[in-house]
Amino acid sequence: MDISYFIFGSLGIIILSLVVIPLLPIKLKSTAVICLVIVTSALSLMPIIQVLYFHRILEYSFVVSRSLGTISFQIDSLSAWFMLLINVICVSGAFYGKGYLVSYLKQNANTTIHWILFVVLQISMLWVCMAHQALFFLISWELMSLSALLLVMLEHEKPETLYAGINYLIQAHVGVILLTVGFIWVYSSEGSLQFDAIKNFFSHHPPIGLFSIFFIGFGLKTGFVPLHTWLPYAHPAAPSHISGIMSGVVVKMGIYGILRMTVYLNSDYLRIGIIILILSLITAVYGILNAAVHRDFKRMLAYCTIENIGIIGIGLAVGLIGKGIGNQLMAFLGFAAVLLHTLNHGLYKALLFFTVGNVYQQTHTRDMEKLGGLIRTMPQTAIFFLVGGMAIGGLPPFNGFVSEFLIYVGLLIGIKTMSAAYISLLTFSIAGLAIVGGISMLTFTKVFGTIFLGTPRTRLHHRPREVSFIMRFPQYFILLVMLSIGLFPKFYFSAVSRIAASFIPLKASESLLIPESLLNSLTTTGWLGFGFVGLIAILLFIRKRLSLNALHPVNATWGCGYVRPTPKMQYTGKSFSKSLGKLLSFVVLEKKKYKEIPVTEIFPKSRKHSSHYKDLIELEILNPIVDRLLFSLNYFKFIQNGNIQLYILYGVFFIVLVFLGTIFKMI
Amino acid sequence: MISFILIILTSIFFTGILIRAKSKAAGRKGPSILQPIKDIIRLFKKGSVFSTTTSFIFQIAPSIYFASVIMAIMVIPLGTYKGFISFEGDFVFFAYILGVGKFFNIISALDTGSSFEGMGASREALFSMFAEPAFFILLGSFALLTGHSSFQEIFLSLHFGSYISYILGVLATVVLFMIALVENSRMPFDDPNTHLELTMVHEVMILDNSGFDLALILSATNLKFAMYGALIANLYMGSFPLYLTIPIFFGVQLSFAIAIGLLESFTARFRMNHNAQYILILSSVSLLIFLGVLLVLGQFN
Repeated sequence: MDISYFIFGSLGIIILSLVVIPLLPIKLKSTAVICLVIVTSALSLMPIIQVLYFHRILEYSFVVSRSLGTISFQIDSLSAWFMLLINVICVSGAFYGKGYLVSYLKQNANTTIHWILFVVLQISMLWVCMAHQALFFLISWELMSLSALLLVMLEHEKPETLYAGINYLIQAHVGVILLTVGFIWVYSSEGSLQFDAIKNFFSHHPPIGLFSIFFIGFGLKTGFVPLHTWLPYAHPAAPSHISGIMSGVVVKMGIYGILRMTVYLNSDYLRIGIIILILSLITAVYGILNAAVHRDFKRMLAYCTIENIGIIGIGLAVGLIGKGIGNQLMAFLGFAAVLLHTLNHGLYKALLFFTVGNVYQQTHTRDMEKLGGLIRTMPQTAIFFLVGGMAIGGLPPFNGFVSEFLIYVGLLIGIKTMSAAYISLLTFSIAGLAIVGGISMLTFTKVFGTIFLGTPRTRLHHRPREVSFIMRFPQYFILLVMLSIGLFPKFYFSAVSRIAASFIPLKASESLLIPESLLNSLTTTGWLGFGFVGLIAILLFIRKRLSLNALHPVNATWGCGYVRPTPKMQYTGKSFSKSLGKLLSFVVLEKKKYKEIPVTEIFPKSRKHSSHYKDLIELEILNPIVDRLLFSLNYFKFIQNGNIQLYILYGVFFIVLVFLGTIFKMI
Repeated sequence: MISFILIILTSIFFTGILIRAKSKAAGRKGPSILQPIKDIIRLFKKGSVFSTTTSFIFQIAPSIYFASVIMAIMVIPLGTYKGFISFEGDFVFFAYILGVGKFFNIISALDTGSSFEGMGASREALFSMFAEPAFFILLGSFALLTGHSSFQEIFLSLHFGSYISYILGVLATVVLFMIALVENSRMPFDDPNTHLELTMVHEVMILDNSGFDLALILSATNLKFAMYGALIANLYMGSFPLYLTIPIFFGVQLSFAIAIGLLESFTARFRMNHNAQYILILSSVSLLIFLGVLLVLGQFN
């Protein structure tokens, strides 16, 4: 099938958005964007269905010029899966954004650019998934990074947003440089920019060098520790619908890139798998530990994204190790878990970011210690958060459990077939996953409890109320999809199983047997989910019937006989996670700021005490390196002196250099 | 099926026996063995007081907690007899469904907006988090030893052939015993009889529950005891016929209850701020089991 209509159609949509959105009255802009986003999704749905249901591979290519070579596109099942995820999250994000940006209706220029870039972001991500040639891939990748950057910086007048934006810009470009270097390496060796050249490269070169360049390049987008430092700044700075899309899909584009490279990989699976496993374990534990202590709830969610990237990485490592030791089933489970967890995390993270967006819109604070008792005024938001928090901890009957279950089963299969050193590593991974689940439970009980339960801790400017329907609508939609994954895991598993099988090239004589017991387990967990919900319903029914006749007096919470409790006496989120932070203070650094009371000060005046948690890797490892770099780069400051004449001279100098180089055949 | 009934049956007497053992050790006569269950029945009939601060979370949490324990019990086998359900990787489900109950228990404590209940909730979350890896390393080692990954198949093919494997059995019993104490908030980790809210863990979380809800929580605790007892009993059953497994089951449960009673009579509670480290020791015992399994499998040769 020809997919050229989609490529030119999406280009047309971008041009259309550039023309139409600035001209529309400000109230209609968001509606127009919703339409454009839906049209884009509908256009791309055709090829996606073709690929996922009719198992075709769609290709298209055209020659631009002799020097640039052929630009080619390909949609295989892996691309289609990610395109599906992009569409689901972007459409929900557009609906949510319409409601969320209501208070920005006065900033005409700002919202115009914001909404145009929203369309560009979706289409550029779709292009990234379709690109099959390095140059076009890099262009789409850059378009995606830049549009995401400007979307993040909606509130560009705030200094912390600027800081976050520049931080992201630089890190994204370090990533792009690495990717470019990788592609040039392939080009110089194979003489082609097509992706197939990467396959050829891997087939007769040791892969570790090129793969690590690509892994770091994509890892910077994804947020593997220690490449994660932009995430905790960018997510809080962005408006919530953008945070949801950033965390739900933009970050996943890095996963897509790594998976794409994995497809082309031809040897050394085991070594690469082990490295990724160790890195992912560190990422998962480090991410969730930081998430547990932070009090800014969007920053907490950003760290939680890092944790989930770690879990996805563990799945990827299971897949690679399985491939390395020739255990097809383990490899299959690993890759299936990666794909499913990518979808799952995209869904619940978008839901959670939208939910905290609801809270932020109503209360104008990101500090959870200032909130409390919101379940009374915003009950639906509270339920969304509760479900998201449970799903992210991998608790049944929601979708997080399904993918984590697959990873556990994959690890258990691996344990049975390997030698002592590897067994120990895999057992550690099982324990690591368990402890990540435990800390994640602590984190989300803390955040849910602090924001939504108890009594309000401070007086808010205006009484929060439930957000508008247009903001709740995408959240209901995501909630339903999540529940369907949790309750009918087998359906989704069979959807990803074909994609996962494409990672494991089988010889003609072999065939991949998915044991009946595994499918059976998945179906059973789905039924158990139903059973669990049913049992709860029965218990609640009995409870209701039994207590019809009994007395139900209402009274204040038991305060050990103290009769004048105040909201400030509630347990705080900070103290909830304090004991964990104290135990692991060598990982989560607490910085306190206060003035000691001197002995001579008999009547101390009022003073401030503040405590913040710092990122260990940023503070102790990255910042010193950057400082050293800055120190040496300072000597070259004279080059950038703001003198336009000199800048023009640089240009002339460069052109002369190129000219001379060409004449003397040096370039 | 049969294990489910046996566990329910045991849970009726478990706390009674435990309390009787404690009172005998203290030289008292002690209440009837059926006293705890009578208390629970009485609570089921009573009305309840609700705090003005609480929301619907507080109302549904005890039911979810109880339901999660019931679901967890469903996967526990008895020797050759499967539980209600048995599937590959069911111990993962077991651990995670118990997690759901705990999650709701914790947020229901936070729902009261109390200055004490959050403290208990925080401790419960922390302690159970540290107990988690011990359980998973234990089951992972057994999966490695037996080549299976469901409770029933693991226990069925777990037979103690050499001296090392006896040690493994003893260590596994220790780990499960201690996990049961952590999960049920018993003595070395938490004192259920303390009267000071500041030093409680589990008790302080349920300060505001009363009536039907409290009864559900208490019976869930009893069920959890019997559940861990059943896991320990399964270590020693292998593929014996039913007329042997049922006495073994009750024997193990009885000695489990008495052991807890005696332990509570003769030890003091650990220091609260070091509790997490004590619990982490369990993981190292699990690691010993893991190394033992590697030895048995000859991985070091």
